Formats: sequence, C-alpha cells, structure tokens
Amino acid sequence: MVEMPSPEHIKQRIEAAIPGAYAEVEDTTGGGDHFRATVTAPAFEGRRRIEQHRLVYEVFGTEIGGAIHALSLKTQTPLKPPTQ
Amino acid sequence: MSRSEPSPVRDLPMSRPEPARSDEAPAPTGEANPIRDAILEAIEEHKVILFMKGTPDAPACGFSARTVAVLQALDAPFAAVDILPDPRIRQELSAISNWPTVPQLFVDGELIGGCDIVTEMYESGELAQALL
Repeated sequence: MVEMPSPEHIKQRIEAAIPGAYAEVEDTTGGGDHFRATVTAPAFEGRRRIEQHRLVYEVFGTEIGGAIHALSLKTQTPLKPPTQ
Repeated sequence: MSRSEPSPVRDLPMSRPEPARSDEAPAPTGEANPIRDAILEAIEEHKVILFMKGTPDAPACGFSARTVAVLQALDAPFAAVDILPDPRIRQELSAISNWPTVPQLFVDGELIGGCDIVTEMYESGELAQALL
C-alpha cells in the first residue's frame, strides 16, 4: 500500500535517513505530488552539490518520478561554529 | 547579433528500431542497447547538452522551461534532446546518470544537475564558469 506523500512524511523520511539532517518541506502545488525541500545536514560537508542532492533523492528511490512527481531541493551544511 | 541558437539534436535513433545488419556479429555479452548507446554518444559529442521534456522552443514542463531560460540567458549554445517521445530514453538516461528527474544538463560529458542546481549555479555565477 502506498501512502500519499505529505510534506511531514517527506520531512520525516529525510531526517530519518540522513544522520543529523534537518528538513523543511512544502507542497508547492497543494496536490500532494510536487514538493520543495530545504535540507541541512552535516553529511553534505565536502560533497559537491550534485552528490548532496543524490543523497536526498536516494531516500525515495523510484518514488521520485512516481508518487512524488517533483522534489525540488536546496541543500546546505550547518553553519560552522566560529573558530575559537 | 551573435546570439547563439540552441541546436536541438533531432536525429538520435532513440525510438527507431535497430536496423537489421546481418554483416555484423552480435554483441558478445549482454543485449544491444541502442538507446543507451545513442545517449552516451550524444553526451560525448556535445559540450553542453540538455535532456528535457519537450523542445527549447516548446518546453513541456516548467522545470525544463526554466533550465532552457537559464542557458539562453547566458547565451550558451546547447544541444537538446526531448525525452518524451519514448519512455525508454528517460529510463536509460537515469540509469546512466544516477539522477532520477528530468531535465538533466551535461557539460563536458558530466552531469551538472537538474533545474535546481542549474538555477543555483546561474545565480552564483558558477554556471557561466562551467560553460566557458
């Protein structure tokens, strides 16, 4: 059984799959299939943007393009604490 | 007026059946995959190539439209492949690139990203650098 994805559901799955991740997710059309997510995670450190996005897409596998028609992403690493 | 026009790739044998070629030995391993081969060849042959839904003149999706607009804003010449005529194009493309969505922009044989990354790189100036 496939649940219709909700922003909360997508947020939880991203945060559960990527250690230390914080995600903000919105449904951009209100239709339950186009989403925009801003994901902040230490795991993105040292990775190119494309690899950061791949990490997030991998959480959903074939659901991207399926139940989730579009997942627009912005990825970032947490602000580093100022050095000493 | 040196505006560079996009040069759509129109002649990929994506959706054509394999021509019968009795003079050629069958591939030794696996099955022939003309769509995959055509995609790989197109990526190799074009410095900047965009796989999209629809064409640059008539994009069939907002994300593809925005990506085309960014490339045109930079006056970057690019080849374009419409993935819609045959669902296998999308399948093979994603298998090659390990990227689930379309559009996909390749520069110098490497996947740059989709609409989000291309837009972000445009805004930061990185895209103009990458297209040089």
